[in-house]
Amino acid sequence: MGAAEPTPTPLHSIADYRSAYEDGQRLRGFRSGCGFVTATWGLVCPKCGQRDLREADLSGRGKIVAYSVQNVPSDEFLNDAPYAYVVVELEEGGQITGWIDGVAREADLTIGTTVVWVASYKPGVHFGRSPGAGSSTGSG
Amino acid sequence: MREARVVGAASNRFGKMSESGREAAVRVALEAIDRSGLVPSDIAYTFVSNCFGIAERQAHVGPLINTALGIPEVPSATIESACSSSSAGLHEAFVHVAGGFADAVLVVGVEKLSHLDTLNATSYFAMGADYAFETRNGATFPGLYATLASAHRHKFGTKESEMGAVAVKNHANAARNPHAHFQKEITLETYLGSPVIASPLRLYDCCPFSDGAAAIVVAAKEKLPSPPMVPLVIKASVRTGSIADMHDRASLTGLPASRLAADRAFRMAGLERDQIDFLEVHDCFTIAELMALEDMGFFAPGAAGRATVDGATQRDGRLPVNPSGGLKAKGHPVSATGASQVAEIFEQFNHLAGGRQVPKAETALAHNVGATGGSCSVHIFGRP
Repeated sequence: MGAAEPTPTPLHSIADYRSAYEDGQRLRGFRSGCGFVTATWGLVCPKCGQRDLREADLSGRGKIVAYSVQNVPSDEFLNDAPYAYVVVELEEGGQITGWIDGVAREADLTIGTTVVWVASYKPGVHFGRSPGAGSSTGSG
Repeated sequence: MREARVVGAASNRFGKMSESGREAAVRVALEAIDRSGLVPSDIAYTFVSNCFGIAERQAHVGPLINTALGIPEVPSATIESACSSSSAGLHEAFVHVAGGFADAVLVVGVEKLSHLDTLNATSYFAMGADYAFETRNGATFPGLYATLASAHRHKFGTKESEMGAVAVKNHANAARNPHAHFQKEITLETYLGSPVIASPLRLYDCCPFSDGAAAIVVAAKEKLPSPPMVPLVIKASVRTGSIADMHDRASLTGLPASRLAADRAFRMAGLERDQIDFLEVHDCFTIAELMALEDMGFFAPGAAGRATVDGATQRDGRLPVNPSGGLKAKGHPVSATGASQVAEIFEQFNHLAGGRQVPKAETALAHNVGATGGSCSVHIFGRP
C-alpha cells in the first residue's frame, strides 16, 4: 500500500451552495482535473476518482437537454405547478438541474432552448429563457 | 461457493392493505417458509426492507417480524436501497448462503403508504432522489423518469404509442394476476386519454402507489436437497451502482447501472441473452421498461418500443417481459417490489401462474432499480 492521500477539505458545503444561490450571489460548483463540471457536492471526482476538485463559479447559462412539465408537484412546489423541471448543459460544460415557472404544456418548451439562471425568492435553482432565446438545435 | 436456491417465495395482493406492514410481512414470510418445506427455526438470518416504515411510525421492524415468526433470537437487519431494497436483501441472502455463513435466510420486503394523500406520497417517493440537487430544484419521482423519457424521445424518436404499448401489455398481464393492484385491461385509447402527470408521462405511464409485502427463502442446496417445490437456482446475483444524480451522467437515455449489472450477471451465470425465457424488469414508468430492455442488451438502443408494439414482449411473444404485470400494473410497494419479482418467477417455474403462465419457464432474469439507477440488482435464475 502506498501512503494515504490526505483527506480533502470540503471547498464549500451544501448549505454554502444553497445560501449562495438563494441570496442571488452565485452558483457554486466544482471542476475536476479531468474536466468534469458539476454542482453536486463531493470530495472526490465521481468520474476520474481524483481528489483535485476545484471551486468553480458556474455561469448558469446553457441549453436545455431534457425537461418535463410537472403537473403533480411535491410539497415544496405545491403552489408553483405547472412548471418545467429542466436539465441544463452549461456553456462551460457540465449539467445542472433547475426549474422554469409558467410552463404549462410540453410544447411551450423545446430541447435546445437557451436558458439562464435567475435569482428568485422561490425554492431551488430557477431558470429563465435567455433574452431572445430560441432553440440552438432547432428540434424538440 | 455453494449453490444457493430460492426454495420458497410468496406475495400478497398489492393495492391497499388494511393491516399494518409488519402484519403483512409476517404473513407472507410464513407462507414463503411453508412453501420451502423448512420451518421458521431453520432461518439463520432475516433481511427486511421497509424504506418508508417511518410513514407507519415504525423502524427496526426486523425483530418484530422474527418475534411474530417465533424466532426472536434470529438476527435481522434492515436493507434500504430505495425501490431495489428487497432485491438488495436477496443479494445479501445469496452472499450469506453461497458463502457458507448461513444455511437458510429469509428476505422480506414490505411497504404501506396508502394512508398518505397524493401530495405526501409524492413527497415520500421523491426522497429517493437527491434532495439538494434534484428535488429542491423541482424534481418529482415521475419528473425524473419523464426527463429521461424526453431525452430518449429526442434521441430515438420514441413514440407515445410505444410507451402506451408497454402499459397495455402490462395491464393485460396484471389482469390475470391475483396478486396485482390493477386487475383490469386497458386500451391504447384509454392510455392516450389519461392526464399528463409529468410530460411526456401520462397517468397510465406511471406505476401506482401500492401497499404490499413479499418474501423469499434462500437455502443452500446441501441444506435442502429436495425441496417440495421447484427451486430457483441463483445463477447470478449482481448489484451495481452509478453516479447518483442522473444529470451528472454521460447519457440520459438509459441507466448505466443496468448495463453494468446485466453484463456482470451474464458473465457470472455463463449464459447469453438468448437463453433467457422471460424477464421481470423494473418498469416504474413505461419508459423504464424500454430502457431496461435496451440497457441490458435485449434490444438495440431505441428499438425496444417498436418491438413492444410488434408484440415481442407479450406473454406469448419471443421474449415475455413482466408477465406479472410489472410495477406498472401489478403495483410498486417500494420495498416489496424486488422480492415480488422473484415470487412471480417462482410461481412461473412451478406452473402456478394460471392465465399469465409463460410458455417456457426454465431460465429467467429479474431486474430491479433503486431510484433513477443509483442502485441496480440483476438476478438470473435457472432450474436445478
